[in-house]
Amino acid sequence: MTTAEAPALLEDTKLGPRAGGLYRRQNIFTGLGLGILLGFVGWVLSHQFLQGSNWGTDMVVTVTMVGWVLGFNIGMGSLNAPIRWLLGHDQSYDDELYAAGVEQGKARYWKFCTDHKVVGTQYLVLVMLLFGVGGTLAMMMRTQLITPHSSFLSANTYNAIVSVHGMVMIIATIIMVSGPFANFIMPIMIGAKDMAFPRLNALSFWLIASAIPPMIATFFLGGVDAGWTTYAPLSVQAPAAMDAFSMTMITFVLSVTIAGVNTIVTVFTMRAKGMSLTRLPIFTWGTVVGSALSIYAMPALLLGFTAMITDRVTGTSFYVAAVGGTGWLWENIFWIFGHPEVYIILIPPVAAMLEVASTFARKPIFGYKVIIAGFAAISVLSLMVWAHHMFTTGWAPDLAGPFMLTTELISIPTGIIFLCIIGTLWKGRIWTRLPMYFVYLFLWNFIIGGITGIYLSDVPADQYFHGDMFVTAHFHYTLLGGAMIAATAALCYWFPKITGKMLNERIGKVAFWIIAISIQITYFGQFWEGFQGMPRRVAYYDPIFLRANQMTSVGGYLLMAGWLVFLYAMIHSIRHGKVAPANPWHAKSLEWKVPTPVPLVNFLVDPVVTSDPYGYGEPDPEVAAGQPGIGDPEQELVPTLSSDHPTAGGES
Amino acid sequence: MSVTTTGHEGPQENGRNVEAVAGHHETREQRDFKERFALWLFITGDALFLVMELFFWFYLRALNTNGLWRGVNCSKANACVDGLGNPITHSIPKANPWYSVGIAALVVVAALLIWAVERAARTSEKRSIVSGLAGLSALVLLAAIALQCYQFGKVPFTTIQGTYASTYLFFMGSTLGHLILLGFLAIGFWNRARVGKFDNGQWHHLRLFRIFAVWIALSAVILTAVSSLFA
Repeated sequence: MTTAEAPALLEDTKLGPRAGGLYRRQNIFTGLGLGILLGFVGWVLSHQFLQGSNWGTDMVVTVTMVGWVLGFNIGMGSLNAPIRWLLGHDQSYDDELYAAGVEQGKARYWKFCTDHKVVGTQYLVLVMLLFGVGGTLAMMMRTQLITPHSSFLSANTYNAIVSVHGMVMIIATIIMVSGPFANFIMPIMIGAKDMAFPRLNALSFWLIASAIPPMIATFFLGGVDAGWTTYAPLSVQAPAAMDAFSMTMITFVLSVTIAGVNTIVTVFTMRAKGMSLTRLPIFTWGTVVGSALSIYAMPALLLGFTAMITDRVTGTSFYVAAVGGTGWLWENIFWIFGHPEVYIILIPPVAAMLEVASTFARKPIFGYKVIIAGFAAISVLSLMVWAHHMFTTGWAPDLAGPFMLTTELISIPTGIIFLCIIGTLWKGRIWTRLPMYFVYLFLWNFIIGGITGIYLSDVPADQYFHGDMFVTAHFHYTLLGGAMIAATAALCYWFPKITGKMLNERIGKVAFWIIAISIQITYFGQFWEGFQGMPRRVAYYDPIFLRANQMTSVGGYLLMAGWLVFLYAMIHSIRHGKVAPANPWHAKSLEWKVPTPVPLVNFLVDPVVTSDPYGYGEPDPEVAAGQPGIGDPEQELVPTLSSDHPTAGGES
Repeated sequence: MSVTTTGHEGPQENGRNVEAVAGHHETREQRDFKERFALWLFITGDALFLVMELFFWFYLRALNTNGLWRGVNCSKANACVDGLGNPITHSIPKANPWYSVGIAALVVVAALLIWAVERAARTSEKRSIVSGLAGLSALVLLAAIALQCYQFGKVPFTTIQGTYASTYLFFMGSTLGHLILLGFLAIGFWNRARVGKFDNGQWHHLRLFRIFAVWIALSAVILTAVSSLFA
């Protein structure tokens, strides 16, 4: 088959007159409508029958939130296929085409759409909205802290904002790469036509979308004043907002688990012919490792929050010492999830950034197999470090030494991966475009975030730093300065493929410099606060911390401004930007071999992979055939999916 | 990365090439492998959930905060406090294990029946036999769900009476959740068997169902054993 024959296949995507069935009538408005309706029905019924019990308000809120999540997803069409299955019917081919968004234009972005590219785009928008919410809350916190006794927020409101800011940012950073790029880019990278389970893919997105309103609702239900770690017994005693918060987390866990399974199955079962495991792009390995860690870590969080709800709604006593439970149980469960979660956040963006580094250094990835081994080592070790978050709690003091050791051990594979990134850039002919700026910024920030982490893993040092702003600065350097900046590098890199437009680099570079400088101001300010001994999560503080707090707040405002400029660059580029060629970076992995915009089936003809994705400097068959070449960065590459010329090298 | 192209005959449906949606370009075996792989990953996640539940049980039992695992230190002279602040003046009795044993036995029987459904479909038994066995497995699961609900009314404690009571009831809730999911699937499989969706060429989903049912039976047995033997 050649491209000349390919349009015939696309003609087969025309829909029949009754295609879609119920899907035709479902969209975000029916989702919102049914979600509100079932939430209201839940509220009325539980108010009527359960309000009189000892845990009435908590029950009412829980039932209402369950009604919302179920109703929203039924209204969206998430459950159409399972219900049809139960009734003995199967989805027809036309139904599946309709669900994939055929002939629906932009409306498909507001529907239960199974096309992985639509789901990836939906995730991207959701992630940016979440960062917007989390960032706004951060600005409110910094405004409160710009003077020692500000009356901008009450102490309770401040604590509620701390909790929601923390968890919204955790949710956003967990999905910031595994959502948009593992959905949009990864299947194309491995030569697949879609994810392994397209309906589960759409379900994972709409589940997480339905989890956000309950999180926002917490502000109207008294606020979660227990911090983002929701330590017991504070969380058990918190207002009814905690029930909504727990529902958000449970729904989020279900979504991430489904997405993780889908990703792993896609990578291991849907690769193109010739795409052996050693030819997998490193980003694909990153998503697999992140997904595997999700499958390990998320059940702990699911159990933890389910038990939290039963403590609050039925009076069980898991976490309250006065009635037989223990707060240590929550801490253990939370951090059994919580530390692998750091690597669920970090590994996929780092892997994505390695793609950027290789492409712009025009070099193969240095230590490809070592990096994969490093990811694996980090994953295994991350299962054995959770108690370093509990050094000061008094839980199992005899285990402090072993946990300190495992925590320090994890810096070895992390350091090796870091060296491999530098090795990839070393002596490369670096093409310094906007994505590379963010790679450099990652390297700088991650060194600071990583090394301060080693201090914190040390038991004596942790006794001093624990609970103060030093810890806050450390994890912001790691998660924002590291993971989020790496994800931004990936966004700049894949922006042309996703949107079809080139990102405006002039505005992008302005944003970059504001972000780069303001990160240092903000989080060095927090280190300063930490060294002075300022505790975390306080709305008021002693005036001796004033200068450091002012520095942090000014840096924070600048940082927000930098992100807004970056957002402007994106919107401006989408509306007025230059149309992107299929392969603007002259990269070699498969996603750059398909046309932009990417067709529904991704590949009009089945690709057969005959070499690894980082063969820069090797003779390219397209160049040999007289086509514009990868080796010439000044020339734009014509989409070359359909090379009819035999390629060099053998198949695996 | 170098790529070349390969021509191949795509699968046809009503005379049309049906490659445009994922899944349609795969063989039955490829799809079956994909689905089994996903199922095993979900079971891995569920198994970790089970392990965490067991951690709850043994950790709270070992810690026995304020003697409130089963209220062994509670007496009129040394009253403990329940979740509502009321005094507990006696130790909490153990739950009758036979309900849990009965439920676990029913789930094991259901899993065996589901295994028989798969076998019947694979060996080209009559549609009535396949649907009959599937219907029977659904009935057994409904009986298990009913017994589980009945047990909630029969345990000699309530949620507020310490950590043993809390964890025991949590185990029951966890089993009930699994049984409802399995029951939903059983009804679906019975209905699909009834309309002739399974035969010796179409039995792969029954295998998935069997694997999942065996896992649920195993987890019910483990929870029953732990809650009965280590109270």
